[in-house]
Amino acid sequence: MPDRKRLTMLALLGVVVAAVLFLIPSAPDMIGAFFDGAFGGRRNFNFFSTLSRSSLIVGMALSVLLSFRAGLINIGGEGQLVLGGLVSALVGIYMPGPPLLVGVLALLAAMLTGAIWALLAGFLERGFSIPLLVGSLLLNYPASFIASYLVSHPLRDINSGIAQSHRIPRATYLPRFEGTILDYGIILTAIVAVAVIIAERTTVFGYRARTQGYSASFAQASGFPERRMYFQILAGSGAIAGLVGYIAVFGIAHRYVDGMLVLPLYAWTGVVAVLLARVNPLWVPVAGFLFAALQTGAAGLERSAGIPREMAQVVQGLIILFLAGGRHFLKKPGGTTE
Amino acid sequence: MTEPVTAHSPNNDKAALCRLVGVSKSFGEVHAVRDVSLDIPGGEILAIVGENGAGKTTLMNALFGLLPPDSGRIEVDGKPCRFRSARDAISAGLGMVHQHFMLFPELTVLENILVGAEKASPLGMIDFRTRRDEVETLLGQFGFSLPLDARVSTLPVHARQQVEITKMLFRRAQIIILDEPTAVLTPAEIDGLFDMLRRLRDSGRAVIIITHKLDEVMRVSDRVMIMRNGEKVLETATRDTTRDRIAAAMMGREIASPPKTDCRQDAPVLEIENLHVTRETGLSTVRGIDLTIRAGEILGIAGVAGNGQKPFVEALVGLTPVAQGRLALAGKDITHASVGARRAMGLAYMAEDRMQTGLATDGMLWENTLAGRETNPEFSHRGWLQKRNIRDDARSIIKEYDIVATGPAQRVGDLSGGNKQKIIVGRELSGNPHLVIAENPSWGVDIGAMAFIHGRLLDAAKRGAAVLLVSSDLEELFALSDRVGVFYNGKLNGIFGRDELDVYRVGAAMAGQTSGETDDA
Repeated sequence: MPDRKRLTMLALLGVVVAAVLFLIPSAPDMIGAFFDGAFGGRRNFNFFSTLSRSSLIVGMALSVLLSFRAGLINIGGEGQLVLGGLVSALVGIYMPGPPLLVGVLALLAAMLTGAIWALLAGFLERGFSIPLLVGSLLLNYPASFIASYLVSHPLRDINSGIAQSHRIPRATYLPRFEGTILDYGIILTAIVAVAVIIAERTTVFGYRARTQGYSASFAQASGFPERRMYFQILAGSGAIAGLVGYIAVFGIAHRYVDGMLVLPLYAWTGVVAVLLARVNPLWVPVAGFLFAALQTGAAGLERSAGIPREMAQVVQGLIILFLAGGRHFLKKPGGTTE
Repeated sequence: MTEPVTAHSPNNDKAALCRLVGVSKSFGEVHAVRDVSLDIPGGEILAIVGENGAGKTTLMNALFGLLPPDSGRIEVDGKPCRFRSARDAISAGLGMVHQHFMLFPELTVLENILVGAEKASPLGMIDFRTRRDEVETLLGQFGFSLPLDARVSTLPVHARQQVEITKMLFRRAQIIILDEPTAVLTPAEIDGLFDMLRRLRDSGRAVIIITHKLDEVMRVSDRVMIMRNGEKVLETATRDTTRDRIAAAMMGREIASPPKTDCRQDAPVLEIENLHVTRETGLSTVRGIDLTIRAGEILGIAGVAGNGQKPFVEALVGLTPVAQGRLALAGKDITHASVGARRAMGLAYMAEDRMQTGLATDGMLWENTLAGRETNPEFSHRGWLQKRNIRDDARSIIKEYDIVATGPAQRVGDLSGGNKQKIIVGRELSGNPHLVIAENPSWGVDIGAMAFIHGRLLDAAKRGAAVLLVSSDLEELFALSDRVGVFYNGKLNGIFGRDELDVYRVGAAMAGQTSGETDDA
């Protein structure tokens, strides 16, 4: 039954996407432009750009997955991501030492910062009864404003016209795959994905987290160390978000640019990808890749057909709508059996 | 408390107020109700009995317009009608009192009675004085007494039920359906309810009660219809049948309740000293409980819901902190131990709330049977799950407990109520626990599963476990317990030994009356 529902939903989705595309004349060209934007380009440039983007989106999706799977509605990924990226950039810029060491320290600092920011939301819930949903969401704002302030004023690269930090030393960059713009960040994301999937399926911790996500009171009555797991999961979730921030800085931008992690909505796209994958770890990377393609494809569409790239966000919004609403509307009318 | 043997004879010559003709309703593959025909004449109390899933509630929901039948028809006053909603059914003279009352706790009794029938003037004004007179006349007619200006939230449960019934009468209901009306009442309150139902019957109305308590069927009903697997298997005048015959018809076979074996008094397993629990809300509390449960003993806990049993159990399990007092399990202090630590010491807990606490219904069967035992060396090694052993264990629980499931990967939420409960019982008893805390373990399961679960609890006690059985079903408590403690207002209001168990004595203690002699623990 759920399968049939899912199929119906996917079909509806397809119709909507098709309608968005075909209502407009010269649709075939546009579809071509979209696919070229997502996967084509000279020497498959755009494909690598999609992959590069998906290393961030899938990373954020994994961060969200960890929390959601355990039933913790941590939607503070954005703040954890921003501060992780910022701190890693600062370590890269200001920390003396051999490049490899600096790189590793930046990575660890990013993860630690993300974890702390996520734990903060946890302490707000457990200590002051502020729901995690609210606390984690609201902590996104101070995070991005702190980052904005730092790169606009005290730590700004004065020579550049925009609010951004100095560049990190070239030797600390994440290397790129030969002849592409794709950096090794995707390997880090892949490692995290494999670790999360294995942990979820084969460890006691994963079993407990998943079961807790099904029902918190079941987990308590079964004697799981609920409190400890709560903070461990939040910390892990935040650490992954921080790691994504490190990848964005050391792999792609090589500095912290104001808004670079907020405006592309990486964190929120990650949430949507997890929902699309129905919180199933195996499908999360696929869903994340799909959204990355949607975004780079839309950018291609903008370049060649003049369609604003925000259309990608419209489509994303529709997907959320169908995910949230579809389940409700497709529910069978009337009651259940006794 | 003698009751007149139903002197009233059902008047079958009278035209039925309502009749169901060949009603069927299925949900997908499941035939919830199959070709049921039923005449409902006025002036009669009809009991509809059957196991869970027999189709009672579906049938009544079809009658009440909440579920349109797939085939067949419903006639009221000889005219076929098709209700689109409960509102249609109400205006045709039907009234339903649900198990969970549909009242606004913050409104007064009068306001609750008027809701939906308030007859506002064109300006939206309600003429409370006239309406109040009407309600009072109605109450007088049936000899009910209700404080019309009291907030419903301040009323005891039986009075709320009376408000529901009055609400139906005020809407001129001729056919009144009550779903499991006695589940929340003490024995004395049940007597009150039955008096009320008889008065309704004598006024010419039709009363239908849905129940699975057979003694109540025998006491109050004039006619009984038994359903099994969605079909009507028997319809007869109550005086022409017996309890055993009804039970046999419900089950499709004869049942025997497990014989009670004498459990020896042995070493204390759980010692409770002056236990106090304060809930965060400050509403329900436990206020000084002293109790010792010994190996091999089944100690029953009775009480009207909301008298502290729930926080008491939660404190024993470790879900709620102990405010004051001391708990010891097998001689070791567990007052502040975590749930996990207590479980490791041999505590098993069958939670009343199966869907949220007892089970993870979205999870697979093995995920449910593993819970609480996942660190057992058989099931995990250095944090890695031993999937094969876990699956084998789930399979053996399926087999031993006769659970109807496709296998360890079956989603638990798709199983029937009885099978769900068997998963809990199987999991909790699989580790040979020292202390079993069972909260309404057979609530809502069919008689077959109930007998099975009772047998398992008795086995556990025979093996030397101490069993704490908290139940709202006195029959169950009396059948299994060596002693029954009664909770009232957060305290133990008497402990009754096996030979002192009597519905009215225990019922009086549940209602808060102090009996002179209480057995000492």
